[in-house]
Amino acid sequence: MIDDVTTSAQIVRAIGVRKVFRMGDEEVQALKGVNFSVRRGEYIALMGPSGSGKSTLFNMIGGLDKPNAGRVFIDEVDIAALSTIELAWLRCHKIGYIFQTFNLIPVATALDNVMLPLLFADVPATDAQDRAVELLKKVGLGERIFHKPVQMSGGQQQRVAVARALANNPAILLADEPTGNLDSKTGHAIIELMRELNESEGVTVISATHDYKMLSVSDRIAWLTDGVIERFAKRDELDIKEGSTDVRH
Amino acid sequence: MTPMQQIAILPYRKVIAIAMRGLRFRLVKTFLVTCCIALALAFLTYILCSNGMTAHLADRASDALQQRLAREGMLDQLKSADKQSQTAWMLGIALLISFVGIVNAMLISVTERFREIGTMKCLGGLDSFIVKLYLIESLFQGVVGTVLGMVIGVILAYVEGVGRFGGDTWNLLPPGELAVLLVVTFGTGIVLTVAGALYPAWRAAKMEPVDAMRSEV
Ligand SMILES: Nc1ncnc2c1ncn2[C@@H]1O[C@H](COP(=O)(O)OP(=O)(O)OP(=O)(O)O)[C@@H](O)[C@H]1O
Ligand SMILES: [Mg+2]
Repeated sequence: MIDDVTTSAQIVRAIGVRKVFRMGDEEVQALKGVNFSVRRGEYIALMGPSGSGKSTLFNMIGGLDKPNAGRVFIDEVDIAALSTIELAWLRCHKIGYIFQTFNLIPVATALDNVMLPLLFADVPATDAQDRAVELLKKVGLGERIFHKPVQMSGGQQQRVAVARALANNPAILLADEPTGNLDSKTGHAIIELMRELNESEGVTVISATHDYKMLSVSDRIAWLTDGVIERFAKRDELDIKEGSTDVRH
Repeated sequence: MTPMQQIAILPYRKVIAIAMRGLRFRLVKTFLVTCCIALALAFLTYILCSNGMTAHLADRASDALQQRLAREGMLDQLKSADKQSQTAWMLGIALLISFVGIVNAMLISVTERFREIGTMKCLGGLDSFIVKLYLIESLFQGVVGTVLGMVIGVILAYVEGVGRFGGDTWNLLPPGELAVLLVVTFGTGIVLTVAGALYPAWRAAKMEPVDAMRSEV
């Protein structure tokens, strides 16, 4: 069913997504009915103040957590209807995840980290190794394939994470504050890298962020406040609002 | 291609390689956990062996040893109700130490890696892969720790035996009984180690990836 890839323009569709967290008697409504769709090949930034529900929405779209109500469709497949194995398949092939904290496997080298999703996808070891080396070169880490995460800087670790996320040619790159733990310059390089991949490979990028540098590369910005999407902005509209002097072509 | 074909059930050979890589990287922790298992099992084996020896003094000790022990009043003392309950106590404590020590060590070493488990699930790792990974890891530590502990326990029991009973020590424990005792301790060590690791690993594997990644211990 997942493989009946419709070439529908909408790669992600969230309808009325709600998420409630209960802590004892207290209830936190993290998402209060979010409607959200993303076109194939789009670069979307998900912005909003701390606690507005960006990470929660990221988890729902990525199939990493279940909503209390509403539906999420990836390529027109309702992810709530997937079995655990189909869900693993989705995470393995359709979506590449990038986290603020990098989340590399600490005991594994950069190469082994990038190879892991390939092994999960049943790619033969030699092909997996070639692909992993190629990806690490692409993110500029050709010299460091045998380094462990502890031997790398934050920016380098995040590059490994980007390479790992791309291993199985996902249709969607989901990032939750990918630059949150990086300095401004390194963060900029990661943003640029994601933009390049978006343009060259056509991968859809959805990134939750606090980072205003992300705005200039995004096609669209979704503003999340208090569990609802308040508004969407196109890049061109935004430039005017932010008073940018960029000349639009 | 169907989803099933593209998601790998990794063969044990590959899972073993991944498990061994982890154990090697965490060498100090692997060593400490294995030592903990070995210590607990050494104590258990020692208690069982030395209880077994004293239990057979009446029927297997030579006349000379029996006479010496009778002279020293040790034979009566060994048969007394006090001594019997003390023996039961020691065995209970040895079991408790094994249970608490081993299960605790495994529980901690798995729960501190819940985040890693969540990450593997994000990359497409199946629940069964995670359970297998920790099965192999804990089996390895369990076997090494248990065998080491048993060897130490047996040596301790016989060294002490020779001190108390002299050359008779070697005849006190019938080989069949010693074999049963070793099988039971081996089983105890392996079961405690594997159960202590698999229970949290299985729980983490069943969690939503976010919940596994969020839990920090
Ligand atoms: N596991 C959880 N248990 C309880 N409450 C939670 C949990 N996760 C999120 N929340 C609550 O849900 C709301 C949204 O949190 P979320 O992490 O999605 O915000 P965010 O927009 O990503 O914030 P930030 O920019 O700080 O990362 C917050 O009020 C938060 O306290
Ligand atoms: Mg967040």
